[in-house]
Amino acid sequence: MQNQEALMEDGEMESAMSIPTLECDDWAKFGDDDIMQQQSAIQAEEAKKVLFVGDKEPLSTLAAEYQSGSSIMIEKIKVLDEHYAAIRRTRGDGNCFFRSFMFSYLEYILQSQDQEEVERIRANIEKCRKTLQSLGYAEFTFEDFFTLFLEQLECVIQGKETSISHDELVLRSRDQSISDYIVMFFRFVTSGEIRRRSEFFEPFILGLTSTTVEQFCKSSVEPMGEESDHVHITALSDALGVSVRVLYLDRSSCESGGVSVNHHDFIPVAGELPNASVLSPTNKPFITLLYRPGHYDIMYPK
Amino acid sequence: MQASRARLFKEYKEVQREKAVDPDIQLSCDDSNIFKWTALIKGPSETPFEGGVFQLAFSVPEQYPLQPPQVRFLTKIFHPNVHFKTGEICLDILKNAWSPAWTLQSVCRAIIALMAHPEPDSPLNCDSGNLLRSGDVRGYQSMARMYTKLAAMPKKG
Repeated sequence: MQNQEALMEDGEMESAMSIPTLECDDWAKFGDDDIMQQQSAIQAEEAKKVLFVGDKEPLSTLAAEYQSGSSIMIEKIKVLDEHYAAIRRTRGDGNCFFRSFMFSYLEYILQSQDQEEVERIRANIEKCRKTLQSLGYAEFTFEDFFTLFLEQLECVIQGKETSISHDELVLRSRDQSISDYIVMFFRFVTSGEIRRRSEFFEPFILGLTSTTVEQFCKSSVEPMGEESDHVHITALSDALGVSVRVLYLDRSSCESGGVSVNHHDFIPVAGELPNASVLSPTNKPFITLLYRPGHYDIMYPK
Repeated sequence: MQASRARLFKEYKEVQREKAVDPDIQLSCDDSNIFKWTALIKGPSETPFEGGVFQLAFSVPEQYPLQPPQVRFLTKIFHPNVHFKTGEICLDILKNAWSPAWTLQSVCRAIIALMAHPEPDSPLNCDSGNLLRSGDVRGYQSMARMYTKLAAMPKKG
């Protein structure tokens, strides 16, 4: 594997050097397939470092990362430490928001056995299915992903033949054939919601990329590995009716002197009232994510 | 593996049902291997490829549809985004912009669109790309038309 990688690196250099002479034929040997193979080799390398979903770790491991770094970060982690007990890391493969959301949500259902919530999300998932159909998506392109998520949802409910333990949930979240399918389910749901309410999302998308809503969904929502932004979070939260709290950990500091950690609650819009998103006991977020520029992990309140 | 097989079987049924809808695309699966497909696509009208029929070879990976199919032109074609020797295609949806929302059929449609709208700034065929980038549309069209005649049209008589 390593030899192969070294070869490909050489190959890339050669082809880069041959640009001025316009000797394109050499490129045949180093086609896009090779580049994609190299990419998956890099991904495999990355996979060894962080699992799709890691183990629960005490917050001290987060502090340890910044020990010789920014003092603002160290101060902020102290603030977090007052309210949060643990962190669960996810792999930085561009799917970390969806993967964190998946694990947090299923873990909440497994631990709370909140039947009402399960019924509610099932109803919303059916709406998402109809949305995609009405947008012209062929059913067979997304149904497998929907089915797999609904199966996992069924499995975390206890007292049935299909019930799974918390350990099994962790294992499944690390199993690519399940984990990636659920990430893709969320990507379909997110894309459908953005396109269904394209007028609402358009200005936010223009601010991010200056493309059309449809193009944004095709290039930045549906493909695996495309990173999520507040647009994705808003859309997913609205579509499934699930609140998400995001804590922002970065080097920004406020003028007043004291250090605080900003958070934002994504509260789904309620029914037909677009501005009815008020924090009430029923939609208090049970998913808390930690955002550091470019990455999301899962947080556990005390 | 099982998931990709199931998905491809659904696509196969869809292709049979929709045969009449898209007369420009004839997609068929290898009799003994559902991971190998070929397509015959018609060159789009008002392009140098008009009148030609081009054969594509699909090789579908086991991780399909999370990963894209590999597609190549088997018929020789003079186009900035197709490698002249290998038939490799430079198209974002076959690379990092792939998503399971695409199907083998819609990939064929995207390739037909690429034939009509070449992207000379990311060429796999530099000679072809350079003609377009230097503004020699006539030169590009006559080369492309010549190869269409030589390689993509049935021989008369």
